Amino acid sequence: MIWDLLFEPFAAYGFMRRALVGCIAIAVGATPVGVFLMLRRMSLTGDAMAHAILPGAAIGYLIAGLSLTAMTIGGMIAGMAVALFSGFVSRATHLKEDASLASFYLISLAAGVLIVSVRGSNVDLMNVLFGTVLALDDAALILLCAISSMTVLILAAMFRPLVLECVDPQFLRSVSGFSALTHFTFLALAVMNLVGGFHALGTLMIVGIMILPAAASRFWARSVGGMIAVAVIVAIGASIAGLLLSYHYSLPTGPAIILSTGVVYLLSVIGGPVGGLSERNARTANTPT
Amino acid sequence: MTAALSFQNLTLGYDRTPAVRDLDCEIASGSLTAIVGPNGAGKSTLLKGVVGSLPPLQGRVSYGPVKPSEIAYLPQHADIDSGFPLTVVDMISMGLWREIGPFGSIGRAERRRVADAIAAVGMTGLEARPIGTLSGGQMQRMLFARLLLQEARVVLLDEPFAAVDSGTLADLLNIIRRWHEEKRTVLAVLHDHDTVRAHFPETMMLARDLVAYGQTAEVLTPENQFRARQMCEACAGPPHTCIRGAA
Amino acid sequence: MSTRRDFLKYSAATIGMTTVPFTAAMAAETMPVVATFSILGDMVARIGGDHVAVTTLIGPNGDTHVYQPTPADARSVSDAKLLVVNGLGFEGWLDRLIDASEFDGQRVVATDGIELLAFEEGGHDDHHGGHKEKAHGDEDHADHDHDHEEHAEHAEKHAEHDHDHEEHAEHDHDGEEHADAHGHDHHDHGEFDPHGWQSLKNAQVYARNIAAALAAADPAHAAAYEANLAAYLTELAAVDAEIRKILTALPEDRRTIITSHDAFQYFGRDYGLTFVAPQGLSTESEASAKDVAHLIERIRDEKVAAVFVENVADRRLLEQIARETGAGIGGTLYPGALSEADGPASTYIDMMRHNASTLAAALSS
Repeated sequence: MIWDLLFEPFAAYGFMRRALVGCIAIAVGATPVGVFLMLRRMSLTGDAMAHAILPGAAIGYLIAGLSLTAMTIGGMIAGMAVALFSGFVSRATHLKEDASLASFYLISLAAGVLIVSVRGSNVDLMNVLFGTVLALDDAALILLCAISSMTVLILAAMFRPLVLECVDPQFLRSVSGFSALTHFTFLALAVMNLVGGFHALGTLMIVGIMILPAAASRFWARSVGGMIAVAVIVAIGASIAGLLLSYHYSLPTGPAIILSTGVVYLLSVIGGPVGGLSERNARTANTPT
Repeated sequence: MTAALSFQNLTLGYDRTPAVRDLDCEIASGSLTAIVGPNGAGKSTLLKGVVGSLPPLQGRVSYGPVKPSEIAYLPQHADIDSGFPLTVVDMISMGLWREIGPFGSIGRAERRRVADAIAAVGMTGLEARPIGTLSGGQMQRMLFARLLLQEARVVLLDEPFAAVDSGTLADLLNIIRRWHEEKRTVLAVLHDHDTVRAHFPETMMLARDLVAYGQTAEVLTPENQFRARQMCEACAGPPHTCIRGAA
Repeated sequence: MSTRRDFLKYSAATIGMTTVPFTAAMAAETMPVVATFSILGDMVARIGGDHVAVTTLIGPNGDTHVYQPTPADARSVSDAKLLVVNGLGFEGWLDRLIDASEFDGQRVVATDGIELLAFEEGGHDDHHGGHKEKAHGDEDHADHDHDHEEHAEHAEKHAEHDHDHEEHAEHDHDGEEHADAHGHDHHDHGEFDPHGWQSLKNAQVYARNIAAALAAADPAHAAAYEANLAAYLTELAAVDAEIRKILTALPEDRRTIITSHDAFQYFGRDYGLTFVAPQGLSTESEASAKDVAHLIERIRDEKVAAVFVENVADRRLLEQIARETGAGIGGTLYPGALSEADGPASTYIDMMRHNASTLAAALSS
């Protein structure tokens, strides 16, 4: 019974195992990046960058068809270009970073839709937007695993500057020249994970698995390390739940995974022990005023 | 006595509007100097110029034997994200950056020094608190502990006592005195002239231009204060109406 | 080879009909006609010949299900005297486009009068059993209409549809009312499989509908349309016979095919093949893990010989299924759009031939 419910789908079908491996790779790589995005109040920046990837991937698609390599390279270039340009505009002018990022993201999203619509048939755009977690081939899996391994290594190496860049950027600038390097390495990591994830989940859903587990983890852990651990576990658990829901109840897989993380997030908001609603209520009830 | 810092014709400002003009003086090594002056006199601007976060419009800052990395700076409104899940001890340990860098590990000796710094600011027992739960005074104590660990030869403090209670003030002044005894150069922007008279041997009075610089008792005179206020009022209008040496 | 001979026999009547009408210099004399997608466009060009200027809204390799009309399309529609649509809810965006363009010409629904198939897959086997014995070719058409009426009695929806068809005949010269009558028709999309052109028998109905509408809109050239229609019908019948000959030779256990787009029900009915699709009927929906797992089971159980990749759907999913089951990937089928002019399926007839030979090659190997 339990076997049929939880394990049989993965035991019987290769595509389920591949989807699972892909989701775990994404969870391990993208979710810690999501935690830092959230802590730097850049959650929406992640969303913007995800959309900015589209024209790059579209151009890659036009040059080489449905080629993993071409779309990955195109997406990386476009994502980094948007991140760097918006950073540059916000430093060189009085426009704030979120506004300049939003501008670039709208421009590049429109450009992406335009390119795909003019040159390809619209169905390709749908596939790019939604991804295909059930259709991960060897190349895609290798790419996802490589990205998540690199992400984990780089995050471990730059953990301290990254934390400092989040909590007290002025201090980091005063003690080291790593500030700019940290910032751009982090942006590159974010773009890299978004590009990798978009092959599996599409541009719309990848942001979900990046940000929602991170947001949920805030209600469970008090330290950055703890939050990353919780977020990764939430992402993996929700991926498994989403795949099983999709398997048993015939739901589209990408949305099922993201909605599972969404459910975890909502439960965390309500019942999380660190600043969740119920914990806050309990505390205010107990505190004499 | 050698100069830790010297300003040559230094003009600093934003959008080409000068906030500090034609400053020409030397800060002696090991001195303990208060920077006073009316609001908008360019005191904070001067500190930003010293740490290099604001490039001079004209002139220059010379550091003498001090390397830029040996300057520690506590800004007036530290740009700290207090919502970040970091504990007091982790935050204070960041003061070791110059020794451990981004990758180095914190050994037993370093942990000892962190504990000492925490004790020096009277925060023993609060090590594991998230920084978001600290009061204003505790936050300032924590930042002083981090400054202690930086072992800087030049310490720049911008309004370090704004919004702290008297107990905290006394503890922090003790630390400043300790730095002075250790022959570190300390420059502090302050408002309270009583504190300056009691604890700072030297004072620089700014009103965009240098009003006076020297022994505290000679600088903090009613005449100088009147002059400074007048100069700043003259400066309050558009820049071109400000005539040098208006008094 | 009879196809070639028939083609030659009628070529006198069809001179010039293979040239695309945009090139016609006398634009003033040609009738502007808009077809919604490439297959209809090709048919209108064949039957209209030099006397019509066809504009196709969704060009080669486009997907009609997820198409978004552009202002240029609205302009084409508003300039057109005749609008040729597939109907059966295939062009879900059509009513909006017609409203936007203030189209006041006539609309012809090409599927009017075809033998409809409901969406469910279960119906397949029953259907093709009955149809296989039916004669094909031109002589069949008298029967065909009769058969259609019989069929109409079975389903109420269908009967309504037929009624509309009659109205259509009565009001042929009244564009407004005609459009209204059909406005109701579109509410029952989702009932029947709209991919009617995948049957060459249906294509003959399409061709008659188009020819009748052209003649009604442009009576001066009615004779030319009639002649073009006759030639085209003969050619369609010949291609039908040709495909039947190839596909009926396949062994019984090699008649199940997987495609990524459930558009081949009519084709399957005509030639006794079963088509299974992982993504449901429309490319709009994302596949669920359950769908894919069922499909893999089915491929394993029914020993499906080949998995086909089409020109409009996500080939990555099919490649995954093929990898998992060991079934081969059979090649590219064209379900609902022609290829570019230099591709293997640049006309409707080429498309049907290409699909049949691609299927035959994969299934007989």
